[in-house]
Amino acid sequence: MSQLVLGQILNGVILGSLYGIIALGVTMTFGITGIVNFALGQFMMIGAYATWCFTDAVKLPFTVSVVLGILIASIAGLAADQALFRFTRNNLVNGLLVSIGLISVMESGALLLFTTTPKDMDVVVPGSWMLGAIALPRMKLVVFLLLVAVIGLTWLGLSRAWLGRATRAYAQNAEAAMLMGVPTGLLQTGVVVYSCGVAGFGGALYASLYSLEPSLGALFILKGVEAAILAGVGNLLGALGGGIILGITESVGSLYLPGAFHDAYGLVFLIAILLFRPGGLFGGSK
Amino acid sequence: MKSLLLLIPLYLLPLVVHSDVVLTVFVFAFILSILAIGFNVVFGGAGQLTMFHAAAFGIGGYATFLSMQTFGLPFWLGYVIAAAIMVVISILVGWICFKFRLREFYFAVVTLAIAELCRLVVLNWTNVTNGTLGLLVLDKPTVWVPGEGAVQIGQTIPWYFLSLVCLTGVLIFTVLVMRSWIGRNFSAIRLNEDLAQTLGIDTFRYKLLAFILSNVIASFAGALYGFYTGFIEPAYLAVNQSLDAIAMVLLGGVSTIFGPLVGALLLTSLPHLIDFSAEIRAALYGAILIFVILIMPRGIVGLFGGRPHAS
Repeated sequence: MSQLVLGQILNGVILGSLYGIIALGVTMTFGITGIVNFALGQFMMIGAYATWCFTDAVKLPFTVSVVLGILIASIAGLAADQALFRFTRNNLVNGLLVSIGLISVMESGALLLFTTTPKDMDVVVPGSWMLGAIALPRMKLVVFLLLVAVIGLTWLGLSRAWLGRATRAYAQNAEAAMLMGVPTGLLQTGVVVYSCGVAGFGGALYASLYSLEPSLGALFILKGVEAAILAGVGNLLGALGGGIILGITESVGSLYLPGAFHDAYGLVFLIAILLFRPGGLFGGSK
Repeated sequence: MKSLLLLIPLYLLPLVVHSDVVLTVFVFAFILSILAIGFNVVFGGAGQLTMFHAAAFGIGGYATFLSMQTFGLPFWLGYVIAAAIMVVISILVGWICFKFRLREFYFAVVTLAIAELCRLVVLNWTNVTNGTLGLLVLDKPTVWVPGEGAVQIGQTIPWYFLSLVCLTGVLIFTVLVMRSWIGRNFSAIRLNEDLAQTLGIDTFRYKLLAFILSNVIASFAGALYGFYTGFIEPAYLAVNQSLDAIAMVLLGGVSTIFGPLVGALLLTSLPHLIDFSAEIRAALYGAILIFVILIMPRGIVGLFGGRPHAS
């Protein structure tokens, strides 16, 4: 029994780090630019399908496909920013609705291109480690470490480098930052594109572990938003923590309660956190 | 009020159009525009982006049918019970959201989360709601007609008039509310919530009132929809149902009287005018949503200088 629980905790951590990478995008765009990009899950989906296409159909090495996947997701993000989000900068509700419209467009596009048939990729890193009696596939560990590294580096970049200080200055007071010589327009675009690229990266890694369906984006954005709010919006490292807490709760919870409630945990967390600790578990800036 | 005379051509339409298909599209559009009006009361009225109206729509359908089954009531009394249930649920949800001062994004996310929880409950409460299989509704609403007694509404033409009369009733009700001091207070909250509070408007009470009204109207649409299609399923409560209604309101014109109706007519008839696959239809809805927000934020009615709700 305890092995079962331990195995589920491990699964939860891996899945949770994927939630975390979407949460990172949500928390960055909302915390810095004030845009809520509900379509981030769809950018993740783009990254996932692109990676699958390049490895499975074009037979490129996995690492090259991942890079291409990130690139395509970022370009899509840039296009969405320039064509749509640019015009909704100072109106949160409009931005929200535009991104919701974008979800329908992108998801239908994926349905037309790839149909609902799940797509599976060949195993990239075969084999698994044994932890006592529990088998941990190597690829899962690789994915986890990569995701943690990206979230950690993003946090480091935003807290140390000049760019990071400029970004935070912008988040605190856009006008003052502009007067201090921060290229705010570029910064906004940069944050949106970066979050889309990171989501694409999450998708690329997701493709190596699980089978792909066009609806994966809708699932992940909900979990990402839940994880971001759980951690406190604006808290980058917290996004990872929030994601992992959510992942573990879902995985372990499904051992004891019917699977039907799988998606309910995050929703209950979300409501409880917003009501009783709106700053998030880790005391975010909001 | 005078603008409601614009509805008269719709009452005369069946004299000209005899096609069952066309009239059916109109029935769907009328019923869905009631749902859209519900959303418009809270979003176009008090400026709160709710995602709960699909849940209200679905709960309205289920509660009406189940209370009819349980107590052997006619449709209208069944709906009265459903409306009472809806008021209680709305007070609970609204009280939680507004007491904790959730605004904009956070309000949208929490109402979305609660709506999803409602859907999960409906989906899994199998012995009452029959789970994913849904409920088959064989009963029909009855209407008392002078000289004929109680008549069951079954055919398309009676449904056309029933849904149109219901729509007219809902429109008159919302216009009366929106033109009164209640509606003016809603508008004040929409335009500037902090200022409204400073002016002595109890924003909590009025936001809650808008939320309750909106959900009761949406649940009425759900009851009609369920009895018209003869089938109630958990998908009624799905996020997509909410988004469709939002697209209707935005396309037609937020904060206008006829916006929801115009939007519902266009979006309901569109798939019938041009033969689309489900995917292209969804993509089109999304594209319309984006287009309307970026290019014509006041919607179609707004383009023609339609008057806002309260003025």
